[in-house]
Amino acid sequence: MQEHQKNVIPVMFIGSIWLMLALFCWTKPSDEISKSERRELEQLPELTSDMLLSGEFMKNFERYAQDQFPRRTTFRKLKAYTRFNIFAQKDNNGIYLEDGYAAKLEYPLNESSLLSAADKFRYLYEKYMKEQNLKVYLSVIPDKGYYLAAPNGYPSMDYERLFEIMKSHTEFAEYVDIADVLELEDYYYTDIHWRQEKLIKVAEKFGTAMHISKDLSLKYDVIESDAPFYGVYYGQSALPLEPEKLYYLTNDTIRDCTVYNVETNQTTPVYDMEKMKGKDPYEGYLSGAAPLLFIENPHAASRKELIVFRDSFGSSLIPLLLEGYSKVTLVDLRYIASDYLENFIIFDNQEVLFLYSTPVLNSSMVLK
Amino acid sequence: MLFSSITFLYYFLPLVLLFYFIVPEKLKNSVLLFSSLIFYGWGEPKYIVWMVLSIVVHYILGILIEKHAGTKKAELWLVISIIFSIGLLGYFKYTDFFISNINKVTGLSLPMLSIALPVGISFYTFQILSYTIDVYRGHAKAQKNFVSLATYVALFPQLIAGPIVRYVDIASALEHRTHSFAKWHAGLRRFLFGLGKKVLIANSLGEISEIFKSTNQNTVLFYWMYAVAFTLQIYFDFSGYSDMAIGLGKLFGFDFQENFNYPYISRSITEFWRRWHISLGTWFRDYLYIPLGGNRVKKSRWLFNILVVWMLTGLWHGAAWNFIVWGLMFALLLINEKLWLGKAINRLPNIFSHLYVLLFVGIGFVIFDAASMGEAIKRIASMFGMGKIKLADIQSIYYLRSYGLLLIIAAVGCTPLPKRCVARIRKIPHMDHVLAVLEPILCVILLLTATAYLVDASFNPFLYFRF
Repeated sequence: MQEHQKNVIPVMFIGSIWLMLALFCWTKPSDEISKSERRELEQLPELTSDMLLSGEFMKNFERYAQDQFPRRTTFRKLKAYTRFNIFAQKDNNGIYLEDGYAAKLEYPLNESSLLSAADKFRYLYEKYMKEQNLKVYLSVIPDKGYYLAAPNGYPSMDYERLFEIMKSHTEFAEYVDIADVLELEDYYYTDIHWRQEKLIKVAEKFGTAMHISKDLSLKYDVIESDAPFYGVYYGQSALPLEPEKLYYLTNDTIRDCTVYNVETNQTTPVYDMEKMKGKDPYEGYLSGAAPLLFIENPHAASRKELIVFRDSFGSSLIPLLLEGYSKVTLVDLRYIASDYLENFIIFDNQEVLFLYSTPVLNSSMVLK
Repeated sequence: MLFSSITFLYYFLPLVLLFYFIVPEKLKNSVLLFSSLIFYGWGEPKYIVWMVLSIVVHYILGILIEKHAGTKKAELWLVISIIFSIGLLGYFKYTDFFISNINKVTGLSLPMLSIALPVGISFYTFQILSYTIDVYRGHAKAQKNFVSLATYVALFPQLIAGPIVRYVDIASALEHRTHSFAKWHAGLRRFLFGLGKKVLIANSLGEISEIFKSTNQNTVLFYWMYAVAFTLQIYFDFSGYSDMAIGLGKLFGFDFQENFNYPYISRSITEFWRRWHISLGTWFRDYLYIPLGGNRVKKSRWLFNILVVWMLTGLWHGAAWNFIVWGLMFALLLINEKLWLGKAINRLPNIFSHLYVLLFVGIGFVIFDAASMGEAIKRIASMFGMGKIKLADIQSIYYLRSYGLLLIIAAVGCTPLPKRCVARIRKIPHMDHVLAVLEPILCVILLLTATAYLVDASFNPFLYFRF
């Protein structure tokens, strides 16, 4: 090979690929959202003198250039592939893959966060429940790391200590232990949540603990959702994971229940079929994140009512407990302040359940 | 702007190269200057003013120094140049450090000024000083063309993290430089290898430091892993940046001085500093150590010179006591090698002399990276098992497993071993042709993989930007 060719060919080869990518960057129309990451993408920032002098334009442009890079998802997959297969790293963006399950590294245990959550529950108890002598329950939902992390050599929080702290600092509540009835198979492969179709045993456990067993039929039709389900870790990990099936459980009671969303002022069924086909099918359960929901059960055998303080795990479990109550109120303290509740709820003779997953308790500053 | 950013790689650089090569020869410096000001202003627009002021002042001072060469006036203009440069650097970088120390010593509570440090000021200050000092010494002619001098100071490939390019080294290239496929090939290769070192290795190693610092319950294993990872990270980060700077220089027809020469294979601290941040070491040698008298003075003065130079080397890196201690630690190690144990260290089997260097360099970087001396002492003590901490736990073992291969790749990559392997392979018949085909493919793979990391990036700052 001539000396000249030795230099010309590599320069042309590298330069043309580089230039081609640059041209793609300059000409590609902006995308609105990233489906896999379930987020809105940065748009080309407005060029004004204020934005320029403050440096805001540059910061936003950097994010825009990253977000709108052509074939962004493919490049994210290439990065994940390189980390896992070339550098033999065990996680990408904090998501690891074990036994086909994608899970987030959840550690270390944040004891001050747990104490803060327990204080928040106590505050609610003393403000709204103590004088009314309401029966209060607490249950902690372990994330799948409880079953997956430590046995496979991944760092994990000290779950036993977590359960112990929550129990010992909420003596006003009866603790319902569900960790022993759950197992790894009860969780989605690509998502943080548990599978509703696997929760009948959990509903049974709550039925016994909360004395509503006689009202729970625990008989459901298992319906498969049409859309493939790519969980939240699919996008975060950027790994080529297979889609899953999402099922929902229903029966006549669940079908006839109505859900009133205080924020949107809309009444909907328990399951939102449109959302089950949307970007996050898990939002089909009770229509996803909402600060305050009232569920009315016209077929209730008793006039018992339940108030549940919950996170998103509750959305798939609560439908299975509806037969036991005439009305269930769902409060998500991530979206509504504790002191604001008295404007919407009269605490008199309901039962109360604090139902929170370990990731939320370990980052409880999100609870208002 | 960062070299390792999508904005630089796919917007700024292609556009600058396009304009640079379509304009006539006489406008090339103007394109470089204009693009360098955009590059600098991209991160901090308001600090362009200080850099431009500095250039204007030293443009005039350079001419005045040359005009009065050999007279007291030239000396006066040089002193003004030094006071102006060091004064500006001192104001931005050291004011709060001195206020806090005055407060500690006197018990006063003078308010802090909280002055933000303009990026790269330590680098361009030293470059400007090298210009006026060299003009004073008669080693360089004063630059009459303002654009040429401004291009030298603001030249974006080396503006914010070095190498510290001396004016005399590129004076002729500022007037006339050649461009060739050979240079572009070398430049592209060097830039992309530097990009790979920074994005794939240094940033990933940086994650270990971040995880280490965010965890309260660390173990002896994790302290060591952090020390090793940070020692490797700072090398790959800084030398990767220097590679990119040198590569970019070649694309625009410049030849910058090498800044690193496999420092971690050194067998003594003296050798380490000949191989690490060469442009800074030689700057301090030529513009401070030798003017102070170097080693051609009585022993006490010589030791004083060494201590002053290394204290200032530490202080140059940051306005905090841990940087000063870091510099003085190397001063003591160098004095020890020069006066007492140097020959003994040279006689040691290679493995022990390497371990000696790596141990002290590693400890040095633990001091360097600490937020305070208290933190540095705690970390070093913990590395040696003091402080009732566990030897290892599931977390530290996990991260050792997760980053183990990367640490091995980095450890091998900072030695000349890969280069020697390639040289050997090249000697095999026909392999030269095979490598000629594989090398550009590897370059493209590096570009695409680094891009993939940047598109999905969360951790990217250059460590040396804070200097």
